[in-house]
Amino acid sequence: MARPRGTDGSLLSSLPWTLGALGLSIAPHVPYLPIWITLAFFGCAAWRYLIERRRRPLPSAWFRAGLALVCFLGVLGTYSSISGVGPGSALLAVMASLKLLETRKRRDQFVLLFISIFLVMSSLLREQFLWSLPYMLGAITVIMTAWLRMSASPSESAKRSFATGGRLLLYAAPLALAMWVFFPRIATPFWAVPIDSSRATSGLSDTMSPGDISSLSMSNEVAFRVSFDGRIPEPRERYWRGLVLTTFNGRSWTGRDPEISATAREQIRVAGDPVSYQVTLEPTRQQWVFALDIPRSWSLAQTFMGPQQQLARSTPIDQRVAYEAVSYPEYRVESDMRQVYRNWYSSLPANSNRRTAALALEMHAAALSDEAFINAVLEMFNKEEFYYTLEPPPLGSNPVDRFLFDTRQGFCEHYASAFSVMMRSVGIPSRIVLGYHGGEINPLGGHLIVRQSDAHAWTEVWLEGLGWRRVDPTAAVAPERIDYGASDAALEGLGEAWGLSAPSEFLHKLTMSIDVLNAKWNDWILGYGPDKQQGFMEWLGMDDPNWRKMMLTLIAVVVGLVMLISVLLMLRYRPPPKDEASVLYMRFIRKTGLEPVVGETAIEFEQRALRADTLPADAVTSITEAYLDSRYGPYRAPAFERLKVAVGSIV
Amino acid sequence: MSSIQWPFRNAQGIAGSLKSGVSERVRRWARKRQGADPSTTRLRPGRVYILPTGVGLVFSIMAFAMLLGSMNYNNNLSFVLTFILVGIGFVSMHQCQRNLVGLELSFSGAEPVFARQSLRFGIAVTNHSRNARHGIRLYCEGAVSEVQDLQPGESRIFVLSVPTSSRGWVTLDRFGIRTLFPFELFRAWAWLHMDVTGLVYPQPATHPPEPPPTMVAHGHRQHDARGEEDFAGLRKYHEGDSPRHVAWKAFARSGQMLSKQFAGADTSSQWFDFEEIAEADLEQRLSILTRWIVDADRTLEDYGLRVPGHEYEPAHGEAHRRACLEALALFDEATG
Repeated sequence: MARPRGTDGSLLSSLPWTLGALGLSIAPHVPYLPIWITLAFFGCAAWRYLIERRRRPLPSAWFRAGLALVCFLGVLGTYSSISGVGPGSALLAVMASLKLLETRKRRDQFVLLFISIFLVMSSLLREQFLWSLPYMLGAITVIMTAWLRMSASPSESAKRSFATGGRLLLYAAPLALAMWVFFPRIATPFWAVPIDSSRATSGLSDTMSPGDISSLSMSNEVAFRVSFDGRIPEPRERYWRGLVLTTFNGRSWTGRDPEISATAREQIRVAGDPVSYQVTLEPTRQQWVFALDIPRSWSLAQTFMGPQQQLARSTPIDQRVAYEAVSYPEYRVESDMRQVYRNWYSSLPANSNRRTAALALEMHAAALSDEAFINAVLEMFNKEEFYYTLEPPPLGSNPVDRFLFDTRQGFCEHYASAFSVMMRSVGIPSRIVLGYHGGEINPLGGHLIVRQSDAHAWTEVWLEGLGWRRVDPTAAVAPERIDYGASDAALEGLGEAWGLSAPSEFLHKLTMSIDVLNAKWNDWILGYGPDKQQGFMEWLGMDDPNWRKMMLTLIAVVVGLVMLISVLLMLRYRPPPKDEASVLYMRFIRKTGLEPVVGETAIEFEQRALRADTLPADAVTSITEAYLDSRYGPYRAPAFERLKVAVGSIV
Repeated sequence: MSSIQWPFRNAQGIAGSLKSGVSERVRRWARKRQGADPSTTRLRPGRVYILPTGVGLVFSIMAFAMLLGSMNYNNNLSFVLTFILVGIGFVSMHQCQRNLVGLELSFSGAEPVFARQSLRFGIAVTNHSRNARHGIRLYCEGAVSEVQDLQPGESRIFVLSVPTSSRGWVTLDRFGIRTLFPFELFRAWAWLHMDVTGLVYPQPATHPPEPPPTMVAHGHRQHDARGEEDFAGLRKYHEGDSPRHVAWKAFARSGQMLSKQFAGADTSSQWFDFEEIAEADLEQRLSILTRWIVDADRTLEDYGLRVPGHEYEPAHGEAHRRACLEALALFDEATG
């Protein structure tokens, strides 16, 4: 067996750059990678660098094969599959680590740089923050510098390579921009996109079990942003309708019983001024599409209105979408409320929450009408000792009974559920609507930010002659929740808990500025899809944009830019400027009528010119002397003046 | 010159022969198109050719895969990354070609060598521009030069070391200049057809017969004030040389007997005659003559050469040596 050869240190000029490129491209994956892969990578990188520094041999082939086997089994064991962004990037990181240990020649680093490009790509598939773009540009600059270092001569400094890499990227930037703008976007993917389940998104659940979860998520994550075309609705009008729950089993409300409700015909009549707006919805992995009560038109494709006026898309929303919608805050929903539907909308499971039912029947008997009964229940919530809290105690079985008679602490879900159960107990059809309420206006961007913490549940009851009416029991308990929104109410609570006042003005402004940037970023960069592109093409003056026209424009623009770059490069490689002394001397040469000979010195030419005798001898000698002095003499400026005069005298 | 041969031995042979056949045809087309080049040639853009390398092909496949991925995920940031890479591809194509355009090449000579030594053609490349040129390499059939960078205004000699087998003129019909800068995605090259020639002397015989005897002509001695003669060099020891003149130090070092020669001392001369060598083979005879001349040149002995058609009077020195060896290198029996 051959003795292992030591490394020769020839990679020292490029290896640090390659390691840097790999490190930069793996860094965004670190929070998602199992810790052993991160450690393995950084371990291998440091080890490989030390091997090169100390000119040690690389680890043996048997060792590397064993390590490879262990690593691949490790990835398989961790992910149980190798497709998708998560396992894919883990595999790439492992491959980079292993390849490092067998990188002997400079050109072996090509593989490492290809791997780091793929790692950058997969980190972009994972998350697209505002800083992802500058980070990616930085990473690609380092990758390209490492690429140059790989084949650069040893005398070339790293600084120069970095400058060259940066310059070439700068040339590529306008090309990339043109292709990005004009490359036709398509709406539907070619094949199913494997969802990275490691990144859960918060959204609304399609079941509601008040009392099971004892605290509401106070996630500040943005659910959606809305920009209004004209008037911004009042806070109390901002009910963002999501899904409708119609079935109660004593503990949980669900909307998964569409059979009977789907057949009920409901007619919407609208009045007053419409509100038109644009929603940018963050991905939810669910079908629900949110709109202001009550939407009449919306621009999102494959989106339909359900029987209870809820909007849903036929495919889950797993990417950010933007849509326009028009809603009417004043509306009436008429319904064909035959007995079968009436029974269904007021059905309750037998033998549950009996005390609630008894209370409802008692109160209904005391009230003069259904409306009076509703007001009495709301008044009960308002006048008696009910509290609005985000951390209510758990409720156990018969949650409504326990809530109404024992704990009396809860948030919107508890009140909506209790109210709805009371309505159903006396035969008034009712249902629960889940969505968002309120939102915060960003004064800088003028748009409305609706966060996950703005999630809300309210009820709708059907009354003879009035149709489905919205009743929000939470408003009776915590009117400020409806007037100001959940975030402000919660922030105050938070401040009290920490013994602080409300967050400072400055912090709030900063948050708002970042939100504006994020909104623009989402809107223009991440949200540049088929519709946006169409609009932008029309704005550019293209009539009836289609992919063919865009592709032709792309080619034309790219060809134009490439020609421009070619000219730029030609200018970079143009000959250096002739100095004025040479220009004057050339004029003298022409005047002598002699052909200059390659390699001839000025002195030699002087001899030839004197022999040729086409110009006065003193002119020839004084010009030659002045020329040589102005190039090589100690006093060049006066010599140059003499040259000017002398050449001037013969011309 | 390779040509397509039939029957092919195997599939690889077919591919290989086709490839070399096609590239030979392309080269001939380029030669016809460009014509012969003057001794100093500046590369015009029209004669710098460019093709992607293997790395370039892998790079383009990767960019295409990334484009499909970006379209599938509808991910605008990965579109940005993909298009930056495509842009880099375009830019590096132009940068690669520009790295050669405008370079000036001229043949700077080749020292004659003996057969089976490598003939080192020197080609000067000058960068008449404001920008450095990176990773320049010259190549020809059977040889490649070192890779060098050229700073603005710099001129460097690139050496093509071509192995030789037999005596005579060796002409480099064609050589190339190429670069992979910046990212090795493209290879830009130019073919040059300059008058690039070098002379190959016959290979000196390894076991030559004894050279013909030396004839000594007595010179008139010139004594200086101290009565010593001017030391002029060493020559091979011949019987009859004074032991006083033997360079004993040199003998101790190399084991070869050499006599000190003094200016104005006796001069000896040898005649090397082609006809007098008892050897049938022409090349062998030339080899023997070459060996004799080389050996004689190391000493200070005058030597003359007689080959059919030429006669070189006994003399010494670099010019004489060159003339004699050149006569042997170019010796042609028919015209001889």
